[in-house]
Amino acid sequence: MKKVFDTGNAAITEAAIIAGCQIYAGYPITPSTEIAENMSRRLPQAGGYYVQTEDELAGLYTCLGASLGGMKAMTSTSGPGYVLFSDPYGWGISSEIPVVIIDAQRVGPVSGITGAPGQGEFYLSRYPTHGGNYETIVLAPNSVQEAFDMTVRAFYLAERFRTPVTILADQLVTDGWESFEIPETADELKEKGLEIVERKVNCGPEFFPASDEIDIPPVVLGYNTGAACSDWTPTEEGYDIEDPVAHLKHSYRLVYKIRNHRELIDRHEAWFMEDDPEIVLVSYGSPSRVVTSAVKAARAQGIRAGAIRLQSLWPFQDQLFEKKTKYLVVELNFEGQLVREVQRATGENKDVHFYGKCGELPGVHELLQAMKEILSDQKITFEKFVSEAW
Amino acid sequence: MDYLAEKYLRPRKIPSTACSGCGLGQVHKKVVMAIDELGLEQGDVVWGTGIGCAGRQTFNTWKGDNFAGTHGRVYALACGLRIALPPEKKIILTVGDGDAFGIGLLHLLNCARRNVDITVIVCDNFGYQSTGGQFGYTTPRGFRTDSSPYGMFENNWTQNGVDILNILRDAGATFLARHTSFEGHAAVDSIKKAIENKGFSLVHVLYPCVTNFGGRALGSRRPSEIYKWFEQITLKAGEEPEEGQPGFHTGVYYDISNSREEYSSVVKNLTKRVQAGEV
Repeated sequence: MKKVFDTGNAAITEAAIIAGCQIYAGYPITPSTEIAENMSRRLPQAGGYYVQTEDELAGLYTCLGASLGGMKAMTSTSGPGYVLFSDPYGWGISSEIPVVIIDAQRVGPVSGITGAPGQGEFYLSRYPTHGGNYETIVLAPNSVQEAFDMTVRAFYLAERFRTPVTILADQLVTDGWESFEIPETADELKEKGLEIVERKVNCGPEFFPASDEIDIPPVVLGYNTGAACSDWTPTEEGYDIEDPVAHLKHSYRLVYKIRNHRELIDRHEAWFMEDDPEIVLVSYGSPSRVVTSAVKAARAQGIRAGAIRLQSLWPFQDQLFEKKTKYLVVELNFEGQLVREVQRATGENKDVHFYGKCGELPGVHELLQAMKEILSDQKITFEKFVSEAW
Repeated sequence: MDYLAEKYLRPRKIPSTACSGCGLGQVHKKVVMAIDELGLEQGDVVWGTGIGCAGRQTFNTWKGDNFAGTHGRVYALACGLRIALPPEKKIILTVGDGDAFGIGLLHLLNCARRNVDITVIVCDNFGYQSTGGQFGYTTPRGFRTDSSPYGMFENNWTQNGVDILNILRDAGATFLARHTSFEGHAAVDSIKKAIENKGFSLVHVLYPCVTNFGGRALGSRRPSEIYKWFEQITLKAGEEPEEGQPGFHTGVYYDISNSREEYSSVVKNLTKRVQAGEV
């Protein structure tokens, strides 16, 4: 393994190249710009191509076009660009074209605070486009090393499920500097639990079979297979058709190819969950780094705290929230997004609380205080505002 | 089915579901004739389309490989596809006027700027006809449509000294032509030249919509009346349109074919030079 000290953006770049990314197309935006910059330097060295597009729509569409021609492709952005992905994201989902998307979340809405971490695209990454009838795959790293590993995994999942995969990072993960390891051989890759899937070509005549199977090669043009893909509801052969039964078959595929193979996607970390914790802190991304320290500090003070960190966000892992206890969801937004999903997943056991901050991480002392307030049935307060799940 | 359709098009999609009297089939046929006369085979062409009458009616009609983008985005898709495909494969797009000159214009201009090797056939029926007949970017001034019931009140891209082809030329296009669907082999010749240019080519082909544009803007759905109007707006050499009236010169508009390196070659050569340590 090669040891490197660099940013999350650099780790993502190197991981993409190792995963076989041949083209990057995108539009510069803080705090993911360095991915574009690194790609413009590194991809040509590795035999790939860098395209700087007129906007994010064109960025993702150019990636999808290249993927449609058989190349592995990646783009990156932040919230204001992720919103513009809405149109191509839908096209990629429906045409079932593999592509990897990095979203370095910052503080919104709109331009907001450009160089600070936020977590405002939790639901947007579940519903990145209109119309329904689909599931998405979303991963969430909390360190530079994990940003590397998850980028390799994202390419793997995109190929096997033939769909866009989002890595929902945040500014602290992408801009942050940490040591990380780059595997240099196939064995080292395997040692890290990572795998690379090469692009295969669908030779038809069924390009959109009505099944939940994965590992069906995507449409690749240029082989004269008679392939067709479009934004319209397809027949199995790719003809456009306005027919509810055909749409049902198509939707079944888009939803159940993901739901029925979740074991390949679901990932989480648990701390101190073995001894029936009286309070469980739930988080993803960079806030989880503070949560771990806060849980250790709580344990030192005799509070039986535990923690769950989601490494994959969508499909949502309801099964992690079966334990009847108190939950405190820590997020980098003020209104609470992940917390709503935890409320839903806990069902009748619902005792879910929320600690939201934005633009900066909560402190260990703040989370400790919040835990104490919850355990003594008080409202959580900070900066004179009450923080509660809505 | 005629020889061309049999050789190149899918029986399931021919004849199309276009309105009776629509000129789109004529445009479609000219593109296929051009392909045939160039001696290209099914596997030599990848065919893309946009949204609207032109996109929907021509999608997946090609026996070979097909794709369609969402409204206005097929140019950005084609830019990526161009880099991934072998350079000898032809990418031909049949799109509408709203797709190319409205919602997709930013992407179209940037494809022209980069000189992306694609052939764009803009099938222009003077507005948004598949949604019922709203004005677009080439709807003549003063014409009544479903969304300009008092007459087209905006400037367009093709009147009063403005020409979208000038804008595309200035943006970097290397082959541009304009025709009507009523023209015969001259239009086929232009499309052949467009396909042979290794760079960004666009052929603007005006065609009649009998159902909406004919009925509302021209006041008649009779093909003979519409044909007369097309005769009026097709100008002879040296002739200028009457004050306030639309008028088009047809033929090759601008041709510097194969004089500038096309985009996929630019990026591929950069990679080669970087790998060779030359930059």
